[in-house]
Amino acid sequence: MRFLVDTGPILFSLRRHRTAATLIVLQIALTCAIVCNAIFLIRERLVRMDRPSGLVEDELLRVRLAGIGTTEGAQALTKRDLDALAAIPGVKSVVSVNMVPFGTSSWNSGVSTIPDDPKSPMNVATYLSGQDLVGTFGLNLIAGRNFQPEEILSFEDTAEPAVAIVSKATAERLFPNQDPLGKALYFGSKHPTRIIGVVELLARPNDWGGRDAVGCSVILPVRMAFGPASYILRVDTDRREEILAQVDAVLEQNSASRILDSKFTYTALRRDYFQQDRSMAWLMFVVSAALLVITALGVVGLASFWVQQRRRQIGIRRALGATRGDIVRYFQTENFILATIGIVLGMALAYGLNLVLMDKYEVERLPAQLLPIGALLLWSLGQVAVLGPALRAAAIPPAIATRTV
Amino acid sequence: MLRMKDVSKVYRTEVIETHALRELSLEVREGEFVAVTGPSGSGKTTFLNIAGLLEELTSGTYTLDGVDVSSLDDRARSRLRNEKIGFVFQSFNLIPDLDLFANVDVPLRYRGLSRTDRHRRIASALERVGLGSRMKHFPAELSGGQQQRAAIARAIAGGPKLLLADEPTGNLDSAMAREVMQLLEELNAQGTVVVIVTHDPEIAARAQRNIHVVAGIAADLERGPALVRAPAGAADHHQPTA
Repeated sequence: MRFLVDTGPILFSLRRHRTAATLIVLQIALTCAIVCNAIFLIRERLVRMDRPSGLVEDELLRVRLAGIGTTEGAQALTKRDLDALAAIPGVKSVVSVNMVPFGTSSWNSGVSTIPDDPKSPMNVATYLSGQDLVGTFGLNLIAGRNFQPEEILSFEDTAEPAVAIVSKATAERLFPNQDPLGKALYFGSKHPTRIIGVVELLARPNDWGGRDAVGCSVILPVRMAFGPASYILRVDTDRREEILAQVDAVLEQNSASRILDSKFTYTALRRDYFQQDRSMAWLMFVVSAALLVITALGVVGLASFWVQQRRRQIGIRRALGATRGDIVRYFQTENFILATIGIVLGMALAYGLNLVLMDKYEVERLPAQLLPIGALLLWSLGQVAVLGPALRAAAIPPAIATRTV
Repeated sequence: MLRMKDVSKVYRTEVIETHALRELSLEVREGEFVAVTGPSGSGKTTFLNIAGLLEELTSGTYTLDGVDVSSLDDRARSRLRNEKIGFVFQSFNLIPDLDLFANVDVPLRYRGLSRTDRHRRIASALERVGLGSRMKHFPAELSGGQQQRAAIARAIAGGPKLLLADEPTGNLDSAMAREVMQLLEELNAQGTVVVIVTHDPEIAARAQRNIHVVAGIAADLERGPALVRAPAGAADHHQPTA
């Protein structure tokens, strides 16, 4: 293979230019390690940002109110609010709920399949709503039924809910390979809460419990008043902004002694929630790109220096029968060898760096399939970077060999 | 073996034209040992560069071993250079990063020979010049004479028909120069055409034939000056008229 024709002499030559070769190899190795981990972290962030909630997000609006002074009669006022909001043209349904996926608050409970369990085997996000949360969120009820009006409690009641709807992830975790319907859950007491329905997916509000707990949630039929709760409106997608603009006036008509804390489309809510991930992904991208550019410049610099230093040697090779293509190939092969050594070292370093990140932060193990991507990236980068100096080298005339030094 | 007819070489810049060779015609036959002489700047090196396919001629025809080289592209010229010509340079031109074995291997690799064939040729060439025991030495570890002998080994390893030597003894003391000349004569005796560019009359005297180049024009001294000789001195320069 013509590509490998110079491998032996190149290795020979590199041994005699150890310092420069070592420096560029180390630079490539470091870049490989950092870029592999950066690609991994970017991918993690992108996957996280793309995490499904189970909700019909593009139809939802979220409104939060804060009361001024006492909130006596909050439940009644909430009922009036929900009725008034439901009457806005374009609104399909409204609920009051203690939290939402990608919101700022999170209600969680330990749950067990046995009564009075001091060590609950599982933690779930506990959604509380006295209205049709399944319908308004647009959840996919895959088994059982929705709540009946008589099953709904008020948040102020001391009684515990008799029924619950669980997410599929919760059901599979608590009752693997069993039909969860009718089974009892215990929230740290003797009181059983029977499962009456299963929804396909209802994400937790945040990352509490880690990656495996993302879909572990329970809905309890508990009426929530404004203040701790938010109003969620399911509306026509293309009327979201129009309806959002009417919300203030409608709620103020019911009571002027409240402050509209926030109102968002769900799309904006998701965007805000993942803002840090987006920023981090961009930062990683920029750092990786900068590192790759610096490495490419390093390759260009070293190759240019070697071309300049070897002008006569290149002329001699040309005089001895090397074509212009042979000279280009010589520099490409040299770069390929240096990049390969750098990549091999870089991969070991990448795993080392990943182990440190795993130890210090909540980072998964670097998947092996990322390594060939990193290798290809650096090989390509090296070949592109060396092409300019290699073409300049190929342009050196063979007659330089007969010029007296 | 080597036939040039009306070969001219003009170097052009934006402001000046330099006529390094002017309608030079000459022939070197099979088995000859020819010395090309002339004062500095007369065009000897340009002649060597063109004869060795290191530079392209501006006009005229040049036939090397029956091949008209005027129309060849870079790849074909490189291949012809690699297969037909061996070079011996004044400053040896060994590659300092490579040991003698690898240095001699350079032109053989470009020819695409098998590893076994290359190794056989390298060993034979280095033995031939008396450096069989120095294969793993680097050029800097050898004397000037040894380096030039290594360069000759590199030139002959591919079995060229034509050996072009540019002042091969210019950087050597007289004992080493004799050694190198003896080697070139032996190679010539075995059938290799040797063309040696020199300004040393002693070296030139050992050749079968001398071609004197003055101001880019050649005169064959064995047969008498067949061409009009221009005034001695550097190749002339004049402003382009076009």
